[in-house]
Amino acid sequence: MLQQAEILESVLERYPSKPEYLIFMLQDIQADCGYIAPESMEIICEHANVPITQGYSVATFYQSFRLEPQGEHEIKVCLGTACHLKGGERLVENLERKLDIHRGETTEDMMFTLNTVNCLGACAMAPVAVVDDEYISSTTPAKLDKSLKAAQQQ
Amino acid sequence: MKNIVLTINGKKVSAPPGTSILTAAEKNGIAIPTLCSHEELAPYGACRICLVEEENSGRLMASCVTPVAPEMTIHTDSPRVKDHRKNIVRLMIAEHPESCIVCNKGNRCELRRVAAELGVAETRLYPMPNHKPFETHNPFIVRDLAKCILCGKCIRADHERVAVGAIDYSDRGFSSRPVTLHEMPLEKSRCTFCGTCVSMCPTGALSTHNTFFTGTPETEETTICGFCGAGCSLSLGVSDNRVVEVNPSPDRDTVNGATLCVRGHFAHDFLLSPERLLHPLVRETDEEGNTRLAPTGFDAALSTVAGRLADIKRRNGEESIGFIGSAKCTNEENYLFQKIARVIFGTNNITSTGAAGGHALIREVAEKTKGTCRVRRLSSLENADAIVAVLSDTDHAVPVAGYHIKRAVKKGAPLVVIDPYRSDLAAFGGVWLHPEKGGKSGAFGIDAINALTARLIAEGGVDRAFMDRYANDEHGWLPAISAKDPDALAKQAGIAPERVKQAASMLKNRKIAFVPPCDLLERQNGKALLDALFNLALITGALGDKNAGIFIPALENNAVGALDMGCAPDMLPGWRKISDASEKESVAAMWEAAIPEKEGKDIHAMIEAAEAGTLKALYIMGENPLRSLPDPERVRGALKKLDFIVVQDILQNRTTELAHVVLPGAAFAEKQGSFTNMEGRIQSFIPVVSPPGDALPDWAILAMLARKAGYPEHYTAIEKIRQEIRRVVPSYTALGSHRQEWVKQNGSEIPDSFPLAPLHTPGTGSEPDEKFPFIAYIGSRRWHLGAGTRTARSARITASGRTGEIEIAPADAMDLGIANDSENGGKPIIRLLSPFGAIERAAAVNQGLPKGHIFVPQGFYGNDAMQIADFNALKPPGSGWRNVRVRIEKM
Ligand code: SF4
Ligand code: SF4
Ligand code: SF4
Ligand code: FES
Ligand code: FES
Repeated sequence: MLQQAEILESVLERYPSKPEYLIFMLQDIQADCGYIAPESMEIICEHANVPITQGYSVATFYQSFRLEPQGEHEIKVCLGTACHLKGGERLVENLERKLDIHRGETTEDMMFTLNTVNCLGACAMAPVAVVDDEYISSTTPAKLDKSLKAAQQQ
Repeated sequence: MKNIVLTINGKKVSAPPGTSILTAAEKNGIAIPTLCSHEELAPYGACRICLVEEENSGRLMASCVTPVAPEMTIHTDSPRVKDHRKNIVRLMIAEHPESCIVCNKGNRCELRRVAAELGVAETRLYPMPNHKPFETHNPFIVRDLAKCILCGKCIRADHERVAVGAIDYSDRGFSSRPVTLHEMPLEKSRCTFCGTCVSMCPTGALSTHNTFFTGTPETEETTICGFCGAGCSLSLGVSDNRVVEVNPSPDRDTVNGATLCVRGHFAHDFLLSPERLLHPLVRETDEEGNTRLAPTGFDAALSTVAGRLADIKRRNGEESIGFIGSAKCTNEENYLFQKIARVIFGTNNITSTGAAGGHALIREVAEKTKGTCRVRRLSSLENADAIVAVLSDTDHAVPVAGYHIKRAVKKGAPLVVIDPYRSDLAAFGGVWLHPEKGGKSGAFGIDAINALTARLIAEGGVDRAFMDRYANDEHGWLPAISAKDPDALAKQAGIAPERVKQAASMLKNRKIAFVPPCDLLERQNGKALLDALFNLALITGALGDKNAGIFIPALENNAVGALDMGCAPDMLPGWRKISDASEKESVAAMWEAAIPEKEGKDIHAMIEAAEAGTLKALYIMGENPLRSLPDPERVRGALKKLDFIVVQDILQNRTTELAHVVLPGAAFAEKQGSFTNMEGRIQSFIPVVSPPGDALPDWAILAMLARKAGYPEHYTAIEKIRQEIRRVVPSYTALGSHRQEWVKQNGSEIPDSFPLAPLHTPGTGSEPDEKFPFIAYIGSRRWHLGAGTRTARSARITASGRTGEIEIAPADAMDLGIANDSENGGKPIIRLLSPFGAIERAAAVNQGLPKGHIFVPQGFYGNDAMQIADFNALKPPGSGWRNVRVRIEKM
């Protein structure tokens, strides 16, 4: 959190105190910290002169903003039409059981965050999952397992 | 600019550029259905129900957000338009839950109305009810967001009208909905429960939490809120002679428009309190010598009152009787009350508990401006060029005045907040002047204003011409303050000099609207602070300007009117001084009666006289001095010494318990009358429900009493009282002719010569010392009005579980080892001791308090806060009972 406080200071310095810079500031914090802490949200909104609910609204509107710390590794499972038909949903359920979290959540040890996406543009490889930057084609639970282990050992 | 001419439904119409098609159509009597537009909200274009067709381009457009353009040919009702509207409604209804049939919004639901108008019965779509959270935990607002059509009215009302920002959209698409920060329940958010969003919601998504009534009220009638001095217009929904719902009235030109506050919206359920007084009561003594209040009829009760008072007057003289009127009662009632005191019982002993509730400030400002700008309109405040809010309590005490300030700031008026506390306003943007580094707590306000004034003078931000014309510097204030170093003054106040510079640069050459708190003169050094403010207002030319000057919030809803009616020991109706023989004679001539020579006793003197045994009887109308005055034990002791007490009120309370006769009066919604708000708006109203039991309107009770006491004039109807007021009170010549009139101020110009007050170097007052190291301020929280006699009987306010913790600065809490640890068995209980008394309550840390300051909210726990206040501080000119030295003991 201390780190986020320092980063925050430099972000505030970069932008004038106006509502139109809200998204820029949120993006910078997101980029540098991986998520937007409640305290940061409050300070940014105060700086931008908007009610804090408005910052929250913006942050929940865009999927790229995170309000909670993210795990070290991100798992994305595609639930687009093709992947859905090919069992994407089952992959997600499997992971939910295995990691003991719901989609959108992060494991207690902060190792994995599980997210779903709508079509990664690789429908031919359906069902698709991505662990960090590694794409897995025709994903099976076993393949996922392997990738997760590999990621963990990094 | 030239008007734009266009055709709507074949009719040539013209409208100024920038007008929306919707407005242009409405102005010409062409109705277009809408769901998301509201005249007080910025155009938004969310629902698309207001679609119209433009013939030339063939385009469909949302009329509420499309401005008129030359040569447009608009059709508002073509088959194509209707078709599209139907489809939109079908989609909305397909998403709606089946609980629509039992919805509280019932026939007032705008979605149902639009659907009916368009003839959409079945959607013939696959129903996809959008199940979203259903929230009923708080006692005020029910949120059933499955019924939300995402019109955004609630969000916009919250941001634009009341400027709270408690809610906004979350997510996007199907899962979007109006939520609080982190989707917490409303009671954990910044929501003030003003209910403005509830009244705006077109569907049943937001509704009032009613435990005793469901459905649509039978009738809706307009009246005026009985709580604070904003005087909001209310629309009361009535079923079965009970007020079951409150909304802002749809009338135009009201002070509140579409807004209300939590008290106005939700606390009127006190009308249904089981503690309402239903029958006249007279004290009886049984064989064993025990006394009790026994029910009787008005005739018997009033005979007792008239007989006993006449008897006491005969035996002990006129001076032995006192009358306490009320800023909660109407103009007509206060007028009659003071007349009864003066003419029938021959005493000027007529006052109110307003000495502890904001009257002093209203009086002082009237005095200083010679009555020329004692009241100012809130619409002017909203259009102010700049605002300086000093120790402002409007957000809590007079919330609607607070909204006006915030809206002015949203429109771009620079705001300077002078306050040791970080109030909502201090956090609202603008510059906040506060003691960052020490400074004397009691002197902070004056020091800060002096610093700001000196800085403005140094930078040439003074209106010379105005000053030369009007200001009379007989005390040499200007040279004295000009000689001071602004930075040194800032440091003396504990403010960073930079901040004062920033504030001055924002205010320079602007006409400033100043907003002091209603209770300024009940605070330490309040008078000196007001002087300093006036001087600043004078040298910046603020006093002569329409949208500037000093705006006085009134805590109680008829505070201004009660004074106008002469509910004061030294003033006759129309602010005529008793000490002025000719003014007195003029009233005496109109009344055809003698007016007692001597000025009467104020509230402090009355209590002292009761203690001394020279006051024998009190007639109290609509006040509960045992709850609202400092040092209740002392007040009780004094009252107990009286031979005879009459209490005319609506609720059983501590004072009625001591009474010999209790007369049940009617609350605001149950009678006819008029209230005058803080702006001088005289608002007449008629009864919406009838009083409970045998209770009668207070004016009717007083009229009966006058008759019993042998007074020749029979006030059989309220119009008779009004006729007399119109004759006697020059500023009320228009009373009652319309729903709404304005007090006529003395002359339109400000007086020629305004004295500038001398430079004040504040005394130490009750600066903390070793024994009592903290300084407490007893102030308002929005849940209770003043002492809270009525708000504490509101089932909803009570159920909201606000406990009015004693608020402590974080640093002090740390030193004392008090933490905000609700996990470890709730909040710590502390004992707060002042030189005058002690109270015990839970403590909470308030991040916005500076070290050494303690905030004690009023109105909670039977208003026990008064136990630590000093009764003698009420003695005029008043030394500020709201500030008191205290120490803390942990329990
Ligand atoms: S809750 Fe009501 S006012 Fe708010 S967006 Fe939904 S329908 Fe509109
Ligand atoms: S009740 Fe008032 S403060 Fe609360 S969300 Fe609605 S408009 Fe905002
Ligand atoms: S208490 Fe005051 S601000 Fe609230 S609704 Fe009543 S008059 Fe308006
Ligand atoms: S649907 Fe999964 S990649 Fe397109
Ligand atoms: S009323 Fe025009 S879009 Fe809703």
